[in-house]
Amino acid sequence: MHPHSQSPRFHQQQQQHQIHLIHLQQQQQQQRQLLELQEQRERQQQQQLLQLQEQLRLEELERQRQIRLQQQQQQQQQQQQLQTASPSAGHLHGQLLHHQRHVSGGLSPALSDRTSRHLGRQSPAADAPFGQNMTYLPQDIQMQQRLLAEMAQAEFINSMQTGTPQAERDAREEREMQEILRAEAMKKIMEAERMEEKRRRKHAKIAHMSRYNDLMTQSDKDFITRIQVSQLVTPDPYADDFYAQVYGAILRSRLGVQTQDDRVLKFGSGGGVGLGLGQKGPGRRQSAMQRMEAQVERIVNNARMREKEKISLNNLQGALGKTSGRSYKAAPRQLLQVDSGSSPTPSPVPAHGHISKADAIHHEATGAAKEAAKIGRETLGSAAHTHEHDRQDPLTHRESLVILERLYDLVLDLEQMRRDQPPPEEEEDFLAWEVEYEAHVQRLWLGLRVTAPLETSVPHPFISLLMPIKGKRLLPRAARYLDDHQTLVTLTLLVACFSQADVIVKAHVLDTLKESEEYHEVDAQTQAFMQSIIQSILPVVAKAELRIVSGLLGLLFERNHVAGVACTKPGLALLTLFISRVEVIKQNMATATEVSELPPPEDTDQWQSVFDNLFNFLAHDFLHLFPSVRISRTLGIPHSNVPNADVIDHPVWQYLATMALHASAEQQQILVTSLRELVLENVTSVNKGWVADEEERRSRLANVNIFLHALGLDSSQIAV
Amino acid sequence: MDSASSGIQEPFDLIRLSLSERVFVKLRGDRELSGVLHAYDGHMNLILSDVEETIVIVDHAEGAPEGQGTVNIAKRKMEMLFVRGDGVILVSPPSRT
Repeated sequence: MHPHSQSPRFHQQQQQHQIHLIHLQQQQQQQRQLLELQEQRERQQQQQLLQLQEQLRLEELERQRQIRLQQQQQQQQQQQQLQTASPSAGHLHGQLLHHQRHVSGGLSPALSDRTSRHLGRQSPAADAPFGQNMTYLPQDIQMQQRLLAEMAQAEFINSMQTGTPQAERDAREEREMQEILRAEAMKKIMEAERMEEKRRRKHAKIAHMSRYNDLMTQSDKDFITRIQVSQLVTPDPYADDFYAQVYGAILRSRLGVQTQDDRVLKFGSGGGVGLGLGQKGPGRRQSAMQRMEAQVERIVNNARMREKEKISLNNLQGALGKTSGRSYKAAPRQLLQVDSGSSPTPSPVPAHGHISKADAIHHEATGAAKEAAKIGRETLGSAAHTHEHDRQDPLTHRESLVILERLYDLVLDLEQMRRDQPPPEEEEDFLAWEVEYEAHVQRLWLGLRVTAPLETSVPHPFISLLMPIKGKRLLPRAARYLDDHQTLVTLTLLVACFSQADVIVKAHVLDTLKESEEYHEVDAQTQAFMQSIIQSILPVVAKAELRIVSGLLGLLFERNHVAGVACTKPGLALLTLFISRVEVIKQNMATATEVSELPPPEDTDQWQSVFDNLFNFLAHDFLHLFPSVRISRTLGIPHSNVPNADVIDHPVWQYLATMALHASAEQQQILVTSLRELVLENVTSVNKGWVADEEERRSRLANVNIFLHALGLDSSQIAV
Repeated sequence: MDSASSGIQEPFDLIRLSLSERVFVKLRGDRELSGVLHAYDGHMNLILSDVEETIVIVDHAEGAPEGQGTVNIAKRKMEMLFVRGDGVILVSPPSRT
């Protein structure tokens, strides 16, 4: 008893193998037939060509005969016409027509005979797989021949109806026509051949690819698919397939929400399979997915049934000991039963636990009163307090990294919690969730060290946290979970300690043209800083009142060296942001209808004084704000030789434009005088064509125009 | 470093601190890497980006005693790299001058 041969699958395989062999033989026969047919067809085509030529020659002969006949007839006709009246001409005409018909009749049976013979010869080929292609060919040729015949007939009629003097011309024309027709016929034959070739190749390829079709039955394929899908089922499809899900969500939100929000196949409460990105092929795919779903349902249910059985069995056999139920599971039993919580298993998950657990135990040692005092101090308009602050050493790189990792854990937890938010209907769960959520947010807030007093260290702990690039990237993600007040406090702290930031301190490196490691490092950090800061504080500044903005500017002024800050990209961005916000406020003021909306006069006065301060401070050297000017000064090269000057100067022009908008007449005068040279230089270089590239010209002119338009001028007004 | 207060309990936590930072990796076969660490796992497989690999090639002249030979250094840069864990000897922050 060989068990192998007992399996129905084996028998099926055998049968199919035999069928396959028969198929193969048939295919070989067919191929042989094909080859024969190909040869035949080639021969036929040659014959057809020859025949066509024969026909054309015959037709020519006929025509010549016709011409001669016609000439004779015309002579007769003329004679008769001279003698008889019109009815006889009509009679002759009828004769002529009859003759023509006879002639054409004479031709066409000949033609049709030949074509029918063609068809006859080719009909056995219809059995072959390429039968349809074969019939196309003779039909086509038949058509061509018919066309040729018709053309010839038309020519006859024409030549007979018109006089003899044109006969020669007609003959020539006819010959040309025939040449053209012949050429067209040739072309059509070639095309037909090519199509044939293509079809032959395609069918051959399909046959080659489907050599091994039908080896497995559908149930075999389902069996294997079930096994594969069961490996994908997990209890938490979102977490296990996290990156694909999030990436898919981002892509979908960028394209516009098109399809479902859940890209996960769920199976009751058991588990699910993550689907990740969009799948192509809506038609066929859907049925495959449905089948897969059904199968996985079956697997999951079977697994559950088996679990239940196992439990019941164990209960029955409790007295004799447990049965071993793991024999069929794929993985071998673990030798060490380790508890994942305190295990030394080297995976990032416990590491996460370690760092965060330490955080939960270890609190910031700041009393509530101290916190309130600090917040009070950091909000605007308060005089400097002298408290006892514990001066600490600035956070070391290692410490800031540790804190950052904890913060990342918190942010990830918060993001996960947001996703798992239970609906507000389930009161209990929702309340519990809220409590946990608030606790996390509180820990995040404390962890950011924003509440630490300003004098704690230089740089401030918060600033130290922003030093590694991952700190800069964390800020917008964390700021999403802070409320408006907390964000404002963060912004205030940032402004107050702005010049301590690493990007400000190292900004001078960017003013050299050297392509060093440090340059790249500082450049990357600056980019990240600008992106993250702008992203996190923009919402707050966009809604800020005049009082707050002027307070922030004043704070910036007070605690930082503004001239230095303004020479850096982030500093300039910050200044531009504030001043343009005031611009918007002023515009709203102009269009405000209710008196209550207008900011009180103290605020406007305060703003004015702050602005004047700022202006005067920077008026020393406006030109120094321009990176291109700084580069040319430090390197000693002429300003026109600085590469990419327009690109790097662009933000400065924007900033100066915003300044100009708020400037009084004298201030504007000062601006114009100090920038006059630069503006002139740019405009002349563009107008005189010193600048080669079209793009450069446009950007340079645009830069200058940004500034000039703010003053109410335009570059075209400058006469060069 | 007080591990309890800083929350570092196992060596992999130290590697975790260097995520998204530039690290220096020493590999078997006289190779060194410098790159930005993006991911690691229990086998010490690493995913690095913006990597520069330095290979030290020592050529021994035929017949010459050990210790004599030309030392060549080959460098190459790669945008993204997956390093198999069993070749990793050490991972450290870049040397701060």
